[in-house]
Amino acid sequence: MKRKSTNRPTSHSGCSGYRELSRRGIIKAGSLSALGLSMGDFFKLQAADTEAFSQESGVKKEAKALSVIQLHLGGGFQQQESFDPKPEAPVEIRGQFGVTKTSTGDYLSDNFPRTAKVADKLTVIQSMVGKIPDHGQATYHLFTGYTPTAVIDYPQMGSIVSHELGQRTEMPPYVAIPKKNGFSGSTGFLSSTHGPFEIGSDPGGRSYQVRDFSIPDHVSMDHFDRRQTARQIIEERVRRLETNPDMLETMDDLYKQAYSLLTSSSAQAAFSLDGVSDETKALYGSDVVGLKGPDRKFHPKGLAERLIVARQLVESGVRFVTVNYGNWDCHIDVKENSLDQMPALDAAIAGMVTDLDQRGLLDSTIFWVTSEFGRTPKINRDGGRDHHARCYSNLIAGGGFTRGQFYGKSDATGGEPARDAVPLEDLLFTIYHQLGIDANKELLAFGTRPIEIIQGGKLIDGLIG
Amino acid sequence: MKRTTALSLRLVQAIAAFAILLSSHSIGAGETPGFRRDIMPILFRAGCNTGTCHGAAKGKDGFMLSLFGYDPKGDYYRIVNEMPGRRLNPAAPDQSLLLKKATGEVPHTGGELFTRDSEFYDEIRDWIAAGAPDDESDIPEPVGLELSPERFVFEDKTTEGQLKVTALYDDGSKRDVTSLARFHSNNASVIEIDEDGRIAPSGNGDSHVFARFNRFTIGAEVIVLPPAEDFTWSNPPADNYIDEIVFDRLEKLRINPSELCDDETFLRRITLDLAARPPTPDEYHAFIADPSPKKREAKIEELLGHDSFADLWTAIWSEQLRIVGGNYAPVGTYIKAADTYQEWIRKQFRDGRPLNEFVADMVVASGSNIQNGPVNLYTMLSHEPKLNPKGFAADFSQVFLGIQIQCAECHNHPFDRWTMDDYYGFVSFFTGVTRKPGVESREKRIYYDTKAAPAKHLLDERPVPAKTLGAVEPVSTKGDPRRELAKWLTSGENEHFSRNLANRIWAQLLGKGVVTPVDDMRVSNPPVNGPLLDALSEHLVASGFDLRSLVREICNSRVYQLSSQPNATNKMDTRQFSRAYMRRLRPEIIMDSVVAITGQQRNFSGFPSGIKAIEHYPRTGGATSGPHFGDTFFETFGRSSRATVSSTELKLEPTLSQALHMSVGDTVQPRLSANGRLKKLVEKSASPAEALEELFILTLSRKPTPFENEGLVELIGEESKNIDVYEDIFWSLLNSTEFSFNQ
Repeated sequence: MKRKSTNRPTSHSGCSGYRELSRRGIIKAGSLSALGLSMGDFFKLQAADTEAFSQESGVKKEAKALSVIQLHLGGGFQQQESFDPKPEAPVEIRGQFGVTKTSTGDYLSDNFPRTAKVADKLTVIQSMVGKIPDHGQATYHLFTGYTPTAVIDYPQMGSIVSHELGQRTEMPPYVAIPKKNGFSGSTGFLSSTHGPFEIGSDPGGRSYQVRDFSIPDHVSMDHFDRRQTARQIIEERVRRLETNPDMLETMDDLYKQAYSLLTSSSAQAAFSLDGVSDETKALYGSDVVGLKGPDRKFHPKGLAERLIVARQLVESGVRFVTVNYGNWDCHIDVKENSLDQMPALDAAIAGMVTDLDQRGLLDSTIFWVTSEFGRTPKINRDGGRDHHARCYSNLIAGGGFTRGQFYGKSDATGGEPARDAVPLEDLLFTIYHQLGIDANKELLAFGTRPIEIIQGGKLIDGLIG
Repeated sequence: MKRTTALSLRLVQAIAAFAILLSSHSIGAGETPGFRRDIMPILFRAGCNTGTCHGAAKGKDGFMLSLFGYDPKGDYYRIVNEMPGRRLNPAAPDQSLLLKKATGEVPHTGGELFTRDSEFYDEIRDWIAAGAPDDESDIPEPVGLELSPERFVFEDKTTEGQLKVTALYDDGSKRDVTSLARFHSNNASVIEIDEDGRIAPSGNGDSHVFARFNRFTIGAEVIVLPPAEDFTWSNPPADNYIDEIVFDRLEKLRINPSELCDDETFLRRITLDLAARPPTPDEYHAFIADPSPKKREAKIEELLGHDSFADLWTAIWSEQLRIVGGNYAPVGTYIKAADTYQEWIRKQFRDGRPLNEFVADMVVASGSNIQNGPVNLYTMLSHEPKLNPKGFAADFSQVFLGIQIQCAECHNHPFDRWTMDDYYGFVSFFTGVTRKPGVESREKRIYYDTKAAPAKHLLDERPVPAKTLGAVEPVSTKGDPRRELAKWLTSGENEHFSRNLANRIWAQLLGKGVVTPVDDMRVSNPPVNGPLLDALSEHLVASGFDLRSLVREICNSRVYQLSSQPNATNKMDTRQFSRAYMRRLRPEIIMDSVVAITGQQRNFSGFPSGIKAIEHYPRTGGATSGPHFGDTFFETFGRSSRATVSSTELKLEPTLSQALHMSVGDTVQPRLSANGRLKKLVEKSASPAEALEELFILTLSRKPTPFENEGLVELIGEESKNIDVYEDIFWSLLNSTEFSFNQ
């Protein structure tokens, strides 16, 4: 309950104060200019308000981490060829790859030489336990903490973080690069203002440009401000109807956010790759390629650029960034799938961890590599592996997670956890905890129905240092 | 080694003891508790077989029960015979693990479920002591439940109530099962219910409480009233039976409906709803000037006659039937097939074809997917390379009946009446649907293989012949069973069908179904106004499934024409239709509105120029797997991706990307000159106020308020002929909440 009073204001009091002004009719163009204020100034005041609130609440909750970068490997990631190799198992389980010794003396698949060198900075969990080996349901489970039901639509983790912690700066709290995963659910019973901002364009692509993200050259700031002012005048009528105050509040929030993103040079820069040095790009492995494409040429995968943008976003105040990479649903030929996509992944993970650490951001940023489930221990007759939710791996670094730890263990075939099983809910609970969010807290669905952020989750002390 | 020997020795002893007990059980069985009659209900009530405990698909902690007890035979085996001597100890019943776990004497993830001195404990112990008999063929089958009272009305929040649940059996007997049933409330903020069926009101409103026992769910309506002294019924006039039923309900709930909306609001609302575009300024002026008291009725009639009405309903059906066309689609979703299908649907709606015939045509269709439109039900509803009868049956039922039967693939539906027999019988209608290659390279021919085997029941692998939902006997097996399916499905007597269609039509016009979501009708998700849904459904049947007839009836009701402005009594109402609810426009309609208002067309890749967004369906150059929006605008504004048939695919919540797109994207900004229209409008206006009025009528179909007029005239200031400032105002009109909503 304590949290409520500190959180609410970040997204609400700014706007309702704002609304009150309009109700009294002060926000007429005339009175604004009489005050010497343009609409732009007004929005900026609002943004400053927001920042003050969130800083205050951040201190109170003693969050260990400020932000999360979730690198999602959609399709079901093969743990045997990556974070949980089984070198002593028969070849139909072991697969086609060897192992490499990490800086901590543990073993990763030899597909991950660069990651092995920074293993002292990260945690590998080899005993994740999911629920359903179905892409749609498992992805929803990963992103929301709940399996899908027909009655209640649960919000995504990033949306809950946005709802609970609000904006840190003028940046949107939750961003998806390049888009959100189609199976990952929505803002559920929370307002759509907490949804991910999808940048809609791939930083790894040649013509990368965030969609609808700059004021056209021929529209001056004066014009743009005048448009905002006129819009506020027109909104007054529907506001007076009081027919759906929540919706109005959401629309107000969104236009306010849009305005500040479009007019802030630092926000614009955070999304841009201009000015990123070649050295930084190389650190993330922008030149690393996999197998030859259909045109018989090698192509970089673009993951490096996505993660660089993610890091810039976190630096400028985004709380939760989801980056999607690859297609891992390797029912056929797991070897080829790995050879193609893993080199860039290895380089990007190592680069991300190194870069965050060098910049002093690793302690305040959780870098989390996820997949909706893993793959079956045994290679099938097509040389692939099938869906397996009962035991798989995640990698996590920073934000107070113990450095240099291999946590939990799978059994000899990787089919079941052997010790320290980590149900997905427990890991989510622990991440929320590091962000300063008590996941036992109940949110109100439909204004009336209390629902825990995570149901039955436990804090895993062994994961946090 | 020693331990193993000791264990097996104990096992042998236990089995021996058990065998003796089993053989002695037939004597005096009348007094001993029976497994199905007495023990299964206890496992149900104590929560042992819920989905989060041992009822999970793989059980819990090594012990599995069927979810909510759909498989008594299997449960008996798992408790008694799976690990002889472990779960039950007939020699010393109190030492049985089943009891020690349930009472928490030994560590149990589920904790203590009942105590040693409870009746549940005694009954299970007596049953074990009696040799754990199975009463498979000895007992009557439950056939239904009765609830009393069937309805609660609370005048204040201090009174409480008690539900009594009676089970009815096939031999005519009855039994009070209140202490064995499980209860839940649909809305705890209105009514709370405890595990013994005691109910306590918590807030004003209406809701339902439910009792479950065996495979049945039954609900009782609960109304918690606001104080009578604060309420005077406004007694609004009723224009038709819809008004009578809705107002009757509102009066009972002590909610006054809002006033009738004004002409401006009505005109914009009805034009967007029936023609999928805003009214033109000419239409606006003509309508406002029309003195006829019947002008609203006439407007409805006029719009129903336009092709755009058919286009809108084509778009709605195209979306729920998942039409997608791909140039290189390997699976039947070839672009020519998609086109044939879309055009066939359009023709049905333009011709006013009865909805039941429209559906029946698709259900029984055979032949080429690029020649015969309706056959594409079998290539589009499910995009998989080979038609999967199970997935298809589930989607089919969701679209045409509004019922989600897929739960019953693995267990009887826990919150509805559908059993696994219903499910597999329904699947069997489609096991013979076959696709074979046609003459053209991407052509498929759909035919029904009458020799195909029916679906097999998951539990006993017994074939379940084609059978309609809820029926006991299978349909005649001669020939293609889809004919029988179509007959049953689209008959006026099949309430599920007519209620589903009526509810979807209502939801389209009022923004919310009488049942929400529209494709999840089940016992535990009842209509907010039962008589209303009945009446709409009956109207549809009586009119010969005429879409326009039901739409006409709804639009002519006062309920449809209410204002969205709330009063003191209906501010909190979001489900009883006491006022108009603000509805975000479909993405296609937002685009068509911008185009209609600005007069600058928008092209869609893969389509000839000049088509409207509402006529568009997703076409792609490549394959058709995965989500398809057809255009980034549609994706940004939440159009269904057609990845599933679910009604929740369409997402009408506003987002940051939408605000950015409307602010600086290529939909509004390049159209601000409105093809020179804006300039003309400003030039011919005598004053800024006059120009503003025209601009408002063009964009929002209303005149500006005095507040707007004052503020905007001030904003225009000295620049009364400067087009730039009008462009800015035009921008703000297109970016207003009002513009993208129907209110």
